[in-house]
Amino acid sequence: MTDPRPEPADRTPTSNPVLRKALTWGGVLAGVIAIVSASLGFVFDGTSGLVSGLIGTLMAVVFMGITAASILVANRFAGSDVFVGAFFGIVLGGWLLKFIAFIVLVVLLRDAAWLNPTVLFLSLVAGVIASLVVDVLVVAKSRIPYVSDVQLPKPPVDD
Amino acid sequence: MDATTVLAEINGNIATVGYGLAAIGPAIGVGIVVGKTIEGVARQPELAGRLQVLMWIGIAFTEALAFIGIATYFIFV
Repeated sequence: MTDPRPEPADRTPTSNPVLRKALTWGGVLAGVIAIVSASLGFVFDGTSGLVSGLIGTLMAVVFMGITAASILVANRFAGSDVFVGAFFGIVLGGWLLKFIAFIVLVVLLRDAAWLNPTVLFLSLVAGVIASLVVDVLVVAKSRIPYVSDVQLPKPPVDD
Repeated sequence: MDATTVLAEINGNIATVGYGLAAIGPAIGVGIVVGKTIEGVARQPELAGRLQVLMWIGIAFTEALAFIGIATYFIFV
């Protein structure tokens, strides 16, 4: 005999599809910007411009995407008792590690002879702004239920 | 050497100061965004999904300033 009671509600926060969509579209647009900035870099400074354009776009997209990715990872703890602590620990801890990694990378790449710093900077700024545009568009078009992540009381079972 | 020169002497790259300035704004911004999200989720836990999205877009805009601020290290000598 099957249990007539409904399955426990899915406690996964409703933000997951939005964040996944933003990551996907961010990746697509990053590909386009990488091609454009690498081409412009190649025109202005040859191979080092091409490499700088690619690295700058990659840095922008990876570092901007880590926030959404960390929220997605943290949402795996949804429903557990430590969710709030784990969520903010993972998101803000990831944020801190990301900035340390970014500063280390900037210091390492600064003096690299095979890079063009101006192309790198411009492609990084282009990648950051494009990532913001994608985020805003995805959030503006997203439809999230107003009341979600809620567990309704079970209906009474008549014996 | 007069007293003013001695007192106001600064050594090193002034871009380092730029990083410090670039860190202040985003630090305050992310602190406010996350703090207010915690407040909102504590008041209405069923809105956690919506608030997470808003928090994420707030953090994205705030950290963009920090990224550009730190990356100016590439172009400022």
